[in-house]
Amino acid sequence: MNQPCNSMEPRVMDDDMLKLAVGDQGPQEEAGQLAKQEGILFKDVLSLQLDFRNILRIDNLWQFENLRKLQLDNNIIEKIEGLENLAHLVWLDLSFNNIETIEGLDTLVNLEDLSLFNNRISKIDSLDALVKLQVLSLGNNRIDNMLNIIYLRRFKCLRTLSLSRNPISEAEDYKMFICAYLPDLMYLDYRRIDDHTKKLAEAKHQYSIDELKHQENLMQAQLEDEQAQREELEKHKTAFVEHLNGSFLFDSMYAEDSEGNNLSYLPGVGELLETYKDKFVIICVNIFEYGLKQQEKRKTELDTFSECVREAIQENQEQGKRKIAKFEEKHLSSLSAIREELELPNIEKMILECSADISELFDALMTLEMQLVEQLEETINMFERNIVDMVGLFIENVQSLMAQCRDLENHHHEKLLEISISTLEKIVEGDLDEDLPNDLRALFVDKDTIVNAVGASHDIHLLKIDNREDELVTRINSWCTRLIDRIHKDEIMRNRKRVKEINQYIDHMQSELDNLECGDILD
Amino acid sequence: MEVLREKVEEEEEAEREEAAEWAEWARMEKMMRPVEVRKEEITLKQETLRDLEKKLSEIQITVSAELPAFTKDTIDISKLPISYKTNTPKEEHLLQVADNFSRQYSHLCPDRVPLFLHPLNECEVPKFVSTTLRPTLMPYPELYNWDSCAQFVSDFLTMVPLPDPLKPPSHLYSSTTVLKYQKGNCFDFSTLLCSMLIGSGYDAYCVNGYGSLDLCHMDLTREVCPLTVKPKETIKKEEKVLPKKYTIKPPRDLCSRFEQEQEVKKQQEIRAQEKKRLREEEERLMEAEKAKPDALHGLRVHSWVLVLSGKREVPENFFIDPFTGHSYSTQDEHFLGIESLWNHKNYWINMQDCWNCCKDLIFDLGDPVRWEYMLLGTDKSQLSLTEEDDSGINDEDDVENLGKEDEDKSFDMPHSWVEQIEISPEGTNILEIKEWYQNREDMLELKHINKTTDLKTDYFKPGHPQALRVHSYKSMQPEMDRVIEFYETARVDGLMKREETPRTMTEYYQGRPDFLSYRHASFGPRVKKLTLSSAESNPRPIVKITERFFRNPAKPAEEDVAERVFLVAEERIQLRYHCREDHITASKREFLRRTEVDSKGNKIIMTPDMCISFEVEPMEHTKKLLYQYEAMMHLKREEKLSRHQVLEILKLREEEEAAHTLTISIYDTKRNEKSKEYREAMERMMHEEHLRQVETQLDYLAPFLAQLPPGEKLTCWQAVRLKDECLSDFKQRLINKANLIQARFEKETQELQKKQQWYQENQVTLTPEDEDLYLSYCSQAMFRIRILEQRLNRHKELAPLKYLALEEKLYKDPRLGELQKIFA
Repeated sequence: MNQPCNSMEPRVMDDDMLKLAVGDQGPQEEAGQLAKQEGILFKDVLSLQLDFRNILRIDNLWQFENLRKLQLDNNIIEKIEGLENLAHLVWLDLSFNNIETIEGLDTLVNLEDLSLFNNRISKIDSLDALVKLQVLSLGNNRIDNMLNIIYLRRFKCLRTLSLSRNPISEAEDYKMFICAYLPDLMYLDYRRIDDHTKKLAEAKHQYSIDELKHQENLMQAQLEDEQAQREELEKHKTAFVEHLNGSFLFDSMYAEDSEGNNLSYLPGVGELLETYKDKFVIICVNIFEYGLKQQEKRKTELDTFSECVREAIQENQEQGKRKIAKFEEKHLSSLSAIREELELPNIEKMILECSADISELFDALMTLEMQLVEQLEETINMFERNIVDMVGLFIENVQSLMAQCRDLENHHHEKLLEISISTLEKIVEGDLDEDLPNDLRALFVDKDTIVNAVGASHDIHLLKIDNREDELVTRINSWCTRLIDRIHKDEIMRNRKRVKEINQYIDHMQSELDNLECGDILD
Repeated sequence: MEVLREKVEEEEEAEREEAAEWAEWARMEKMMRPVEVRKEEITLKQETLRDLEKKLSEIQITVSAELPAFTKDTIDISKLPISYKTNTPKEEHLLQVADNFSRQYSHLCPDRVPLFLHPLNECEVPKFVSTTLRPTLMPYPELYNWDSCAQFVSDFLTMVPLPDPLKPPSHLYSSTTVLKYQKGNCFDFSTLLCSMLIGSGYDAYCVNGYGSLDLCHMDLTREVCPLTVKPKETIKKEEKVLPKKYTIKPPRDLCSRFEQEQEVKKQQEIRAQEKKRLREEEERLMEAEKAKPDALHGLRVHSWVLVLSGKREVPENFFIDPFTGHSYSTQDEHFLGIESLWNHKNYWINMQDCWNCCKDLIFDLGDPVRWEYMLLGTDKSQLSLTEEDDSGINDEDDVENLGKEDEDKSFDMPHSWVEQIEISPEGTNILEIKEWYQNREDMLELKHINKTTDLKTDYFKPGHPQALRVHSYKSMQPEMDRVIEFYETARVDGLMKREETPRTMTEYYQGRPDFLSYRHASFGPRVKKLTLSSAESNPRPIVKITERFFRNPAKPAEEDVAERVFLVAEERIQLRYHCREDHITASKREFLRRTEVDSKGNKIIMTPDMCISFEVEPMEHTKKLLYQYEAMMHLKREEKLSRHQVLEILKLREEEEAAHTLTISIYDTKRNEKSKEYREAMERMMHEEHLRQVETQLDYLAPFLAQLPPGEKLTCWQAVRLKDECLSDFKQRLINKANLIQARFEKETQELQKKQQWYQENQVTLTPEDEDLYLSYCSQAMFRIRILEQRLNRHKELAPLKYLALEEKLYKDPRLGELQKIFA
């Protein structure tokens, strides 16, 4: 316990304390007076200093949404907590506290400077979210394992590190080890690392680092692979044909179908199954490719549409801007003319003219907007029709392909039934040569059982196919509806915003004119 | 003589009157025919027509009161050189040859007009036309091509009609005189042009022939006005962008189609009427314009220039009318016939029939059937063999042999009597001056002074301390009109351009971290101070500063200021923000900076009415007074800064005009101070060294002269003795030296031998170290011996030579002058 105020009673971070601190550290002098008049909202505070306050528990900071710098040093904090809301934090000072583990920093993605000097930390971890970390101070702690350094390799921006007065800093190899494993580091324990040291360290630890690097690269490659696969799957999903580029569907048909699996041991069924699978997979792949193609088509359609809409809006905005610029030019000159005019009747006349101008501008802008709304509505409707047609066509084609799958299944079913019945007959006659597995033999009790078993297998298969088809159809339909809804909603939002903007502007202009009027009359 | 002069004067009077008449007539004709566009297919836009009208109205035709006559009275011949006033024997001879030629020609072709061979020049001296051509290459690169030469001649000289339109003139002046008075007839024009063209390497000829009325009177009314000829527009292939599938439809057109159609019909009717009217007008004009049949058609004498193909990459023969400077094909119908043509080397007579203008003429001057030459031995003998045969057949019966009979078959054309033709800018208005510089420390490269506007423009190379690129100004005085452009990449502040007027200063920036793009400061009138104040101590008060900024992508648009205006005098600050991408209005804010006091006497820091703002998307925090206060304080600081910057720039500008020094190349040893110093030091050192050497050179006679009484002249005997003594002494010294070397050599050899002996005796008992020692000694001793040997040999070789050299020296020694007498 190093703190001089250790003996004092712990204090709670309550509203009063925060208000006091904010007030003290806020603007001074004239601005301070203003601030006092108005009061300062916690969410406007950018920097807060709460040192030497004997704080035991971090609390009540959730309002400081925009805080950039927080100093909580020289307290008796034991646990890092309550900082989740401070996502904009860049600088966090928690030095001279009693923290034992690093935690609770997962939301501080913007943190660049973290000081945990003089605490009781023995392990560096839980810093993964801090991708922008540049300065890390962990001196005077209880870190005793060199492997903690390797953890720091993931911080690509880390340039300054202090680890002095830790158990590991006693180690003979301490400096060399860090220099070797953190080659981008510029400052260690407040000293600049010279190139010579870097080279020496590199040479010394070359083998282990190479190995580490190799592992890291492997990991990286694996991660990238997974990422690529995920992306690929995602792409297929957006085309609604995921897992159709192989035997996935076919396999899933047999996954829960114990009878079907059993029946496959019947003589002749193996080959039958093989050809069935081949044909089935071919159809699946057809669906898959068709789906991707259609997806591409839909995408280009959507892109063209968005581009055209954007262009139209842009053009319309430009027109509006021009109108406003023209108006402002005129308006400013007439305002100054009004200011200089002395005769009251003249002033009134000019003001009337001005407000006429304003309403003219309003009309012009609103006309433009209404025009755009009409144009866009037409375009959107056209797009909607087209996209719905496309989706419909896609569904139709997929359904016909799925029907082929079903036909295959029916065909297979018939064949299987035939084989089963003939096998049953053989068993009944007792001239079956092959040995059948027990499970399978159990089915051949009588005709009903075997027919039921084959039928059940068939039903399962059909169900799977139906399910896949249903899934595809539902998903694409819901995608389509959502897309259309979004487009309509966006357009409505856009329209409302524009109308609001125009009204606001016009109101402002009008009130400016009114103020002028008042002022003049008062004068 | 009296009578003669009177007669001449009368003639001249008549000539002058006639010329005046011609001129008047030409002018009348011009006035009667308004400039008309003949080719109706060039449909002109209204705008271009208006432009044209304006342009044409700007042209002021000053018809000088004096008559454009150009007679020898007006020419001051007193200062002309002798070659103008007399003929050299060679020229006389040439004239005789020409006379002879002319006589034979008139004898053989009695029905043709006399030749134009040797008109009188301004000094009344007959000169052969070819010698009047003075091929000259002008020092101006602009006058290197035929078109610019022709344009120059046409623009520079004023056209004077021929005294008698049916005859070649009696006088042909030198081009120098023509240039001096800037007047001339067609022969003067073509002589000057031809001289220039031959000088620039063209195969050009003066032509004496017959031209159309228009050509002879420089009447261009029937030509298409060059200003209406539109430059050929490069037809851009407009890539028609296919409308995209979802391109919005244009807003519905709410105009009545019926009305439109009616309107169109009406327009068409009007247009048809207009067209009809125009056509009628056109026809009428055509009728009127049709050239009246010229009574003198084909008889009007004209002179022009023929340029033959072959030289200067001229692809085919063409004519140049020197009056207009236009080029014509040789087939052109304006040129009705050719009598003769000449260049600076020879004279040819056209023997071809000109019934069909010049269309059938073949300009193969080497063909004696078609072109009768006056002098033989010119370079025009590139005739094919068959044609030569032809000419051989025709040889006896025709005029060909008349020149060849002469003894001067290869008579050389004498050198031109005309002085060097010079076109000097003297006497003309200087429009602009360009000065090129090098090696200047301020990197000034080019200074361009426009004399009419008095605008000076300096161009700088990169490397000026202020990164100046272009500086245009009228006066170096500060606070005057000027435009300065900079190499903006070389400047820290990214300044691109600065424009100054007495009341404003505008700056343009590029690539600044604060995104400033434009700053405009306007100044008020200087407040008069009681003390005498100069520009530095009393800067002009700044009335208004306007700054514009590029969009800063790091900031949201509603916080990114696009323009701020500091109305310093009104204590007002206006801000306009950038427009957000999906908006059409931009936020604005206006701060009134009034320091007011409230009722209790406290200073009001900030009140809501001090900041009027319009926000596109009102936000909570911007409504706060504190925010506004801080913004205002920030702006106040910025304003101060801006003002300060403006003043600083003004100060800097004054310093910029300080004296310029030259940079000196390190290779420029004369001007480079450092190298000069170094070189001088070296020279001084060498000089001193030399002096010392001279001083230390031994006086070989001194020891012997010392034996003799000083200050007395040596007698002959003494001199001989002295010489002998000196020589013998020298000989002794040489021998001594040889002995010394010999002695050393022997000593070394002996020692070596001793050592070798010792070595052979003790060879068995020696340690390896001793052996090494011995071996190194041996090699060193051998080295020394060899050196001594070489020295001795050299000495033996050189000693006699040295002896002889001394003897020679002694003979020449002034102190032993007596010796020379003996041997002399």
